[in-house]
Amino acid sequence: MQIKDSPYYKSFLKNPWSYVAGAVILAILNTAIFTITGSPWGVTSTFAMWGAWMFKALGGHPETWVYFQGKSGETLAKGIAAHTGTFMNLGIIVGALLASLLASEFRIKKIKNMKQVAAAIIGGLLMGYGARISFGCNIGALFSGIASMSLHGWQYLIFIFLGAWAGSKMLVKFFM
Amino acid sequence: MESTKNVSRKRKKRVNQIPFGVALLVGVIIIGYLIKDLGPKHPMTWMFGILLGFTLRNSRFCFTASLRDPILTGGTNLSKAVIVAITVATIGFSAIQYGAFLKGDPIPGNINPAGIHIAVGAFMFGIGMVIAGGCASGTIMRVGEGFVMQWLSLVFFILGSLWGAKDYGFWKSNFMDKGLELFLPDAIGWFPSLIVQFGLLLGLFILADWFGNRSKN
Amino acid sequence: MAKEVRLDCLGEACPVPLIKTQKKMANVAVGDTLIVEVDHSCAIKNVPEWARKEGFNCEVDEVDDGQWEIIIEKTK
Repeated sequence: MQIKDSPYYKSFLKNPWSYVAGAVILAILNTAIFTITGSPWGVTSTFAMWGAWMFKALGGHPETWVYFQGKSGETLAKGIAAHTGTFMNLGIIVGALLASLLASEFRIKKIKNMKQVAAAIIGGLLMGYGARISFGCNIGALFSGIASMSLHGWQYLIFIFLGAWAGSKMLVKFFM
Repeated sequence: MESTKNVSRKRKKRVNQIPFGVALLVGVIIIGYLIKDLGPKHPMTWMFGILLGFTLRNSRFCFTASLRDPILTGGTNLSKAVIVAITVATIGFSAIQYGAFLKGDPIPGNINPAGIHIAVGAFMFGIGMVIAGGCASGTIMRVGEGFVMQWLSLVFFILGSLWGAKDYGFWKSNFMDKGLELFLPDAIGWFPSLIVQFGLLLGLFILADWFGNRSKN
Repeated sequence: MAKEVRLDCLGEACPVPLIKTQKKMANVAVGDTLIVEVDHSCAIKNVPEWARKEGFNCEVDEVDDGQWEIIIEKTK
């Protein structure tokens, strides 16, 4: 394999980049997204849209909820194909897959035990609900919120740190 | 699992995955061309999404770890990286916001009310991301990397989001509408805001660096 | 005599491999080698980082696609 011995292959595709390099690229991408879409990078509001479209397909009426009055309601009515956030999240998934294939490191990592199943279910639900009532996740509320110079971003940092502290205690006690 | 003698390390015959990666890259580019009919911004957001996923994975960037590692393992390298990311983004964001301000437009950005809902939501999110092994960006990045645990967590993340959206009315009328929405430059002016913002970020960086070196003896 | 100790962290998500490594390293004797088996791509960054910060010798060996052995020698 000649390509695998190339120093460029190793530094760009195989070896982990430095955290600071990642940080600077993510900050530039976030600014670029802010410029072209009018709002900064966010991940979780798209999950709410996905959930709503599925719920609608099953016969539910999310459009009557307070959350879907206004802009989110318009997005709901236009459907998934028109939603740019969906393509961004799919892009993140495919981008990560692409990176692991090009590094020749992709593999399906199976679930090891029932503790992981419980952790994934409880953790997923807590994150989903928590993100909806606090205007986002680590990206939308923390990264983009603080960079937008909004007070709520700084408040988010304090409480997510407290949550991470509580979560760490639980992880060591119940899920390890 | 302990052994006293040298175990010879077996090597399986490995499949070279690079051709699959190249094929996927071609597919990604074709999709970029095809989705332009769905909307003018689609190819750009698709490409930025790909770049985000690629960057998150290759730099092993993890917002969860930046908040959790100081508590669990004593490491702060990712915490410092997140502070760098926020600092660089502040420069770009404030330029965009100031541009809108000069034109007399409403200030863009994620400016939302602070209050009890943030405290509850962020606390829940903090617990969830540590036990599920990834926040939102980390979860979808690991979905792409092939972690079945994160596939499951994504499904429940979406269900949780739907649940949160259903209860949104309650949180909005009781807390968000009574919360404090504060854009720093509105309160103290643009220049002082940037001074405060960069000062706080620098202080956090120094604190993280000190904490990371503390456990080194 | 120096021993080789193996630690199976396959299928464990972050930060479990690092916590288990930290605990295990506290128990092995000076001169011993710990081999951590992982398949979590973040662990090959944060485990060696920690080990080198502690001053141990550390090497990463890719044994299969997306599966690694992190070899840490307790030098002190």
